[in-house]
Amino acid sequence: MSKTKENLIAVFGGTGLVVGFWLLVKLDIPSPFHYAALCLAFVFQAAWVEATVGLRRPIWARLCRIEAPIYFGLMVLLLWEGLVRSLGVAPVILPAPSAIAAQIATSLPTLWTDFAQTILKGAIPGFLIGAGAAFVVAIAIDRSPFLQRGLLPIGNFVAALPIVGLAPILVMWFGFDWQSKAAVVVVMVFFPILVNIVAGLQASERMQADLMATWGASYWQTLWKLRLPAAMPFIFNGLKIASTLALIGAIVAEFFGSPVYGMGFRISTEVGRLGLDMVWAEIAVAALAGTALYGAVSLIERWVTFWHPSQRH
Amino acid sequence: MKKLLTGAFMAAMATGAQAEDVTLQLKWVTQAQFAGYYVAQAKGFYEEEGLNVTILPGGPDIAPEQVIAGGGADVIVDWMPAALAARERGLPLVNIAQPFKHGGLELTCLKDSGVASTADFADKTLGVWFYGNEYPFYGWMAKLGLATDGSAGGVTVLKQAFNVDALLQKQAACISVMTYNEYGQVIDAGITPDQLVTFNYHEEGVGIMEDGLYVMEDKLADAAFQETMVKFVRASMKGWKYAEANTDEAAQIVVDADETGAQTLDHQKYMMSEVAKLTAGSNGALDPADYAETVATLLAAVSAESPAITKEPEGMAYTLDITDKALAQ
Amino acid sequence: MSRALPVLSVLLGIVVIWYLASIWMNSTWVYDQAERAGTTISFAEMVPQTMDQERPLLPPPHQVGAELWKGLFGQAITSKRSLVYHAYVTFKGTMMGFGLGIIAGVLLAMAIVRFRVMDMSVMPWAIISQTVPIVALAPMIITVSSQMGIQGRDIPKAIIAAYLSFFPVLVSMVKGLRSPDQMQLDLLKTYGAGQGATFLKLRLPASMPYFFASLKVAIAASLVGTIVGELPTGAIEGLGARMLIGSQFGDPLIMWASLFAAAILAGLLIVAVGFVERFARRRMGVVG
Repeated sequence: MSKTKENLIAVFGGTGLVVGFWLLVKLDIPSPFHYAALCLAFVFQAAWVEATVGLRRPIWARLCRIEAPIYFGLMVLLLWEGLVRSLGVAPVILPAPSAIAAQIATSLPTLWTDFAQTILKGAIPGFLIGAGAAFVVAIAIDRSPFLQRGLLPIGNFVAALPIVGLAPILVMWFGFDWQSKAAVVVVMVFFPILVNIVAGLQASERMQADLMATWGASYWQTLWKLRLPAAMPFIFNGLKIASTLALIGAIVAEFFGSPVYGMGFRISTEVGRLGLDMVWAEIAVAALAGTALYGAVSLIERWVTFWHPSQRH
Repeated sequence: MKKLLTGAFMAAMATGAQAEDVTLQLKWVTQAQFAGYYVAQAKGFYEEEGLNVTILPGGPDIAPEQVIAGGGADVIVDWMPAALAARERGLPLVNIAQPFKHGGLELTCLKDSGVASTADFADKTLGVWFYGNEYPFYGWMAKLGLATDGSAGGVTVLKQAFNVDALLQKQAACISVMTYNEYGQVIDAGITPDQLVTFNYHEEGVGIMEDGLYVMEDKLADAAFQETMVKFVRASMKGWKYAEANTDEAAQIVVDADETGAQTLDHQKYMMSEVAKLTAGSNGALDPADYAETVATLLAAVSAESPAITKEPEGMAYTLDITDKALAQ
Repeated sequence: MSRALPVLSVLLGIVVIWYLASIWMNSTWVYDQAERAGTTISFAEMVPQTMDQERPLLPPPHQVGAELWKGLFGQAITSKRSLVYHAYVTFKGTMMGFGLGIIAGVLLAMAIVRFRVMDMSVMPWAIISQTVPIVALAPMIITVSSQMGIQGRDIPKAIIAAYLSFFPVLVSMVKGLRSPDQMQLDLLKTYGAGQGATFLKLRLPASMPYFFASLKVAIAASLVGTIVGELPTGAIEGLGARMLIGSQFGDPLIMWASLFAAAILAGLLIVAVGFVERFARRRMGVVG
């Protein structure tokens, strides 16, 4: 078999899966046999990629890298759809992916309003404020070794606490609209980011710092030119952790009171109304938003810390 | 020793008679709202009927309808609107008994906020729970002709938490309260009744049926299950009547049953005395006139925000068979 | 002990700020009450009244401390009113989730290191899984598991906790299992070692420091998961359930006391994991 053919099979073989999945939904075939056959096809596809992964030219390898997770996701959906249909699971327990997709398609305006309320007004401003505050405090601590020794152990401890429990209290303080959601997010992201920035600022080597000193660099010059760049990998690590926490915080806070829109509101009320397809639609949006936020942080990281070994491939 | 032997003997008898297992899913956390069931359990009324009853408390993320659909419970405590909504979504729940004759749902407002009558609602913020409680609320607003989308001249709806903070901190002009719970919390917080204006849903003509017992329609076709439910309803009603007559003892039983250990006896005593007013006058049998009022309330506001039901419920939404049999003996 | 002084002074600072904040936040209530009663109240009269309210916006430290003391030592630890009992329920859930998370994380990491295709297809989803807010999934996990015939709330709670705690283990184990360099791998090849032997003799031991380092993060995540699992799901037992009840009945003291009990539990768990880590490192000959 020629190299090109091999690559074509590896990369596009799974397209058959996509078409097959689409057909199943379209034709409404409930037989578990079809699902089993499709899963088997997936396994073969996976085995093929595994066996030939080293042989491929970079362009094909990169395509595989993008496609493999998509195929995996599709297979999970396929199994889910198959189980729900062939076992006849009631839609009020677990709706099929196709039903969830239909729900997403028909309620885009609602999903957008909820997204804007929870993510754009609650999570993102809270994330930015929390990160900004952590940065300012970290610099303040950095200037005072006494504070550093005092605050760091406490900060480390607080970063490991279940801060989610503060959500009902903060909702009580800041009211029902997005302000309280942003406040919960600020508190949740503050400590992980703070701890990482402080750890990062200590990461530059003694010798480099001495070198800066011999050049007569001021505190701010050293900070800006040496210590901050050296701290970046740590800072982004903190920001990544915080990006997922921000979403959890914004959604939990809505459970304790909210206006009549928002992702947390929708999830808790639709569970009560047995609108499970809508709940899953919100979960899908949350996953998408979370991935986008995480992805954005990773992209900025790559752009800022291109020099760091962990970014070399 | 004799007592012990009798106890052992009784236990042997109970197992010998093959105690029937019944799982009851409550609508909310353990509190005096469900005192009748806890009393029937603690006083052995269920045991006398040969039943082995497990009571599962609910919570903010537990939908009793979903639990019963998944087979996690045999019978649930629910409000009629939610049960009818489930029926329209393909989950045929049947009301087999209605221990609550009256509803405890009210909307209470601070006079300071300028609300004296329903005419003053325009441009105010009103708190609602969204736990089946939004259905009558939207029905009421539709009846008053008030928009609920936050536009001028309408009302702004707030999903209030499970407590009364929204009113105390003046984030809402009015909040939803149950006579037996949140209203007491408002009073406890130091606000006197004459500082409040309270609207009762029933008096406003938008009453709904609150706590009733519901089962799955297909299971009810089974004669043995019917028989079990007759026993269950009989024992539960006995529990309710006992609780009504002995409110303090019932409150103590509820506090003892609360697994979080955070409930206070004082509050449960208050709740029990208020709940007793709602169950008084019910022998367990549903009154079809109340059912008709509930359906009328729900159909008054068929909109995107309140999709409880869109048409008259089809099929058997309630049955009087079980209570007829239970009360006959 | 050069750390004790700074830590103590920072703690003291926090307590002072806390007191000032509670006076400020609780004063509104006192003034409102005075106004309702038709009297005016001076600042000096107001301050003491902010210190022992029944429903304070922010309870001052001594109120929280008293409630915490009452909950921890004021009753038999088997009583349902004891915070020790509820902390134990939460602890049990945390440990189950922690165990489940470790197993899932290690197994997945092994598969990912062994199969390139697993690395390509599963790893991105593992990251995405962490961006799905667990609170949204929690009610779904509970329904689906009760549909599958799992009784009680212990298992769903453990699954929720494991959902959060498997990830740090997975990431560290992948890093750890890949940490042997090419030279070491080549050496084993010259010994004629197969995949299995390489794994057991080289990769697994090399990954251990990474594994233990991940445990601290994993146990904290597991505790958060357990509390999230208890909070909205049929408040029955545990610290999360008490927080919910405290919130519902407008009793902030119960909430704060549970929060601090959770903090103490978190502290104990982290210290315990730290001991395990140090012990293991010493056993493996790494002085740390």
